[in-house]
Amino acid sequence: MSAAMLALHRVGIRPRMRGRELVLLLVVAIALTTGWASLQSFRSSQLEVGDAWLLATYLGALAAIHLGFVITGRRMDQILFPASALLGGLSVLIMHRLPQDLAVQSIAGRVLELGPLQLLWVLLGFGVMAATAILVRSDGWLRRYKYTWAALGIVLLLLVFLFGEVTGGARLTLTIGPISGQPSELLKVILVVFLAGYLAENRWLLATSSTSVGPFKLPPLPYLLPMLAMWGLALAIVIVQRDLGAALLYFLVFLSLLYVATRRASYVVLGLLLFVAGGAVLYQLFPHVQDRINVWINPFVDPQGSGYQIIRALYAYGRGGILGTGLGAGLPQVGAVPSIPAIHTDFIFAALAEEMGMLGALAILGLYVVIAERGFRIAATAADDFRALLATGLTLVVVVQAAIICGGNLRVVPLTGITLPLISYGGSSLLVNGAVIGLLLALSDRAVEPPPPGARAGVARRLGQRVRRAGGKFEEAIS
Amino acid sequence: MSLTGARLAGPLRRLRSGLRPRMNVPQALPSIPVPGARVAPPHIASSLLRLALALVVGYSALATGLAYWQVVEAQRLTADPLNPLVISAARQAPRGSIYDRSGVVLARNLSSGGAERLREYPYVVAAPVVGYRSSVFGTAGLERTYDAQLTGLVSLRPGDELLRKFRDQPYNPSDLYLSLDIELQEAAAAALGDQHGAVVAIEPGTGRVLALVSSPTFNPNRIVARQGGRRYMNTLRERDDSPLLNRATQGLYVPGSVFKIVTAIAGLGSGAISPQTTYENQPDEYQTGFLVEGFRVRDFPRRVQRDHPLDFYEATEVSSNIWFAHAGLDVGAENLVSWAQRLGFGDRIPFELPTSPSQVTNGDGPLAGFRDRVELANAAYGQAEALVTPLQMALVAGTIANDGLLMHPKLVDELRASDGSVSRLAPQAWLQVLPAGQAGVIGDAMQLAVEGRYGREFAGAAKVPGVPTAGKSGTAELGGDAAPHSWFIGYAPADAPQIAIAVIVEGGGAGAQRAVPMGGQLMSRYLDSIR
Repeated sequence: MSAAMLALHRVGIRPRMRGRELVLLLVVAIALTTGWASLQSFRSSQLEVGDAWLLATYLGALAAIHLGFVITGRRMDQILFPASALLGGLSVLIMHRLPQDLAVQSIAGRVLELGPLQLLWVLLGFGVMAATAILVRSDGWLRRYKYTWAALGIVLLLLVFLFGEVTGGARLTLTIGPISGQPSELLKVILVVFLAGYLAENRWLLATSSTSVGPFKLPPLPYLLPMLAMWGLALAIVIVQRDLGAALLYFLVFLSLLYVATRRASYVVLGLLLFVAGGAVLYQLFPHVQDRINVWINPFVDPQGSGYQIIRALYAYGRGGILGTGLGAGLPQVGAVPSIPAIHTDFIFAALAEEMGMLGALAILGLYVVIAERGFRIAATAADDFRALLATGLTLVVVVQAAIICGGNLRVVPLTGITLPLISYGGSSLLVNGAVIGLLLALSDRAVEPPPPGARAGVARRLGQRVRRAGGKFEEAIS
Repeated sequence: MSLTGARLAGPLRRLRSGLRPRMNVPQALPSIPVPGARVAPPHIASSLLRLALALVVGYSALATGLAYWQVVEAQRLTADPLNPLVISAARQAPRGSIYDRSGVVLARNLSSGGAERLREYPYVVAAPVVGYRSSVFGTAGLERTYDAQLTGLVSLRPGDELLRKFRDQPYNPSDLYLSLDIELQEAAAAALGDQHGAVVAIEPGTGRVLALVSSPTFNPNRIVARQGGRRYMNTLRERDDSPLLNRATQGLYVPGSVFKIVTAIAGLGSGAISPQTTYENQPDEYQTGFLVEGFRVRDFPRRVQRDHPLDFYEATEVSSNIWFAHAGLDVGAENLVSWAQRLGFGDRIPFELPTSPSQVTNGDGPLAGFRDRVELANAAYGQAEALVTPLQMALVAGTIANDGLLMHPKLVDELRASDGSVSRLAPQAWLQVLPAGQAGVIGDAMQLAVEGRYGREFAGAAKVPGVPTAGKSGTAELGGDAAPHSWFIGYAPADAPQIAIAVIVEGGGAGAQRAVPMGGQLMSRYLDSIR
């Protein structure tokens, strides 16, 4: 044993090899390098790798994170990280390939264009993921303060309502000082934490007793309230933020968790009926909802207007075909104009499907399915209900969101503007989804402390107790 | 710091405390009798499986969507003229040329013209067929329909698209070889002269279009010109006589008596009339008019057989409105509409140029679309709300000429790609509209209309010298003081048809005045040229 290892042992850290993760990361590195070479070769018409600092930085970061997991000796899932890393890497590649002026931001005196900017966000996102995975050693802080989290979520929503800026027809962006972000991304995690806490505590009752209304078995009336509140929240998001995608995501995640917690199909049917009813009312009242639906049903009615974006995406699929045009050989821009509006955010899946073809796009969908499989596995083997529901919810916010936006891109469902997790351009989305994957990793580690927390010694304990006491009072007050 | 029943507020607490005692950890539930509860909550892992199943279904739907757009619909999407790839490809490969049936160039690239070469159109009269390709105004005509083949986006070899990305030159432009006879096209345009109207000539046995003229038309060379193209396009768009409208395929005209052939097809086909059908009162009604629910159907005064009721042949020869009004009422609204549909009425005719649907009636009345029997009687001889395109009427003539078999009309015979591959577009039968025998009866009647003792006084000018000729003239009354449209449909030789034709001259007066002699001349000229 080397001296370094001995030193680590002395501070209570026992490194542990993560062989499967290493092998998979090597596969990811090979795939991304091949993609990079293909891209550069197409640009210069000869086989070359070119100036690969973007790729090198990304692969270096992956290695560092892997090393971090190894050194700290975490016994976490070994597939989630490589799967996410491939998605993040594809994101860096495609952003490097798209017109660079789609997003330009000046950070610390340096002007960054789309490619480097996205690399920065991806690295920060994976940094958050690694930090969460390594540092979170207890789930008490999530479990205990569910109403506090819910209150925080509502405050966020109110802030957006009051101070949000409208981008692309939706009120999404919140700017506080130098930081601006899209709170709806954060809200989805808060929602999952609250629902996991609430359902873990009440699922026994929700599953075993009910009030009958006609053919439907409703939850006991007092328990119906939070659900109606949930439904109202989704509606409010549509009305206030005009953010159909987020509303759809929240509602689907809510219904799924409710089903997992109770296995009562009648709740799901009821929820879907409410959804249809709400949707019908919104359709009548709001022109932007009508537009979305009408464009979905037939975009060719107004090919130069409302149908333009989706028709351009369909053209991109056609150009790609089965094998794709090859990275760099597609037509994401005509002259200086992007061929699909919002190609780097809402329509990144179409851009990837054009250049990587149906096979590549299927592989991307497959990666989300892998994430789902790992997430559900973590949930199924979780120590208790809260963790199981939390892991399920966290998995769902990633894979359901991916399904909603890909479905919108493919005209399988009406288009709603949300990001493709881990791929779309955008800081909020990458940071939050990084945290989600990080939490899943932490939950997969059997060493993470199960509740209730054991006693700890010293200052930390007393401080912790004081914070917990204050938190508990707040919690009590608002519940 | 566990949650206990005592700490829960409001209704939750009451319910909870009524049901179970203090509990610390939710999963460590003691089995307590609960009113109405029969089963304990299932383990989460087992419901996860069903959720996973739902997710798999969702993702399968996405995969299906991908396959649909990237495999099933890929070619159609790639070839769509609005696809930016079409624009991009145009900059990279020289566009294919367009030739007529004997190899005369109808469209080609100017030899000098920079990276994106200008198009040149040696024959302005072919504009309604060939259209134009402009970097400013996009494409029209065959230049639009076959844009993907002309630019080489769509390969003629199946499966070639898969391999395109591995080639140095990804595009493989094709030349188009048309069935169009540019000499006939020029002759037809010259015959129309300054008058508005259209001529469509087809080969009845194949449906190949020999001439398709629309007047007035535009000069595609001036549209694609870098200098003044925009100004020229603006004047075209503003002109009242709509030179950009292809009258041959999209112009909707009152058909007048040429529609009687459609009524005859419906009558004989449905069995409502026979060649021997006569209407007892018809000779009297020739004087007084035929009264249908208060409306009097009249015949033009002309020399006709007065001594006996007309049969089908005689009625067609002298173009009796009264006889066909009777026949139309016998055929009935539903039969007339459905038999016309067999000929292509009621829908856009599938063709390589945009078409408008022809109609027998507006379709909003209670009588299978007709308002009443008056409209039906009038439609039966081509008035009322009947509206047809010249292409549709050429197909009607072609169907009779081709023993009742309707062929799909087509313009392009062959595509030849730059890599040497050739794709032939074979003629396609559309529908056996009626049996050959019945088509022969109508054909005989049409021959009488041109060559018979009474018929030739009116439509004799359509006769091709030395060749048996069949035809039907028409005078489309427009109401008011407007001069009627002059119509002719016909084919020749009547015993072995080589050409079927439809001619309309707007405001050309009675059929005999303009359309009939034009039809005769053009058929004669064409038959001379192929002999």
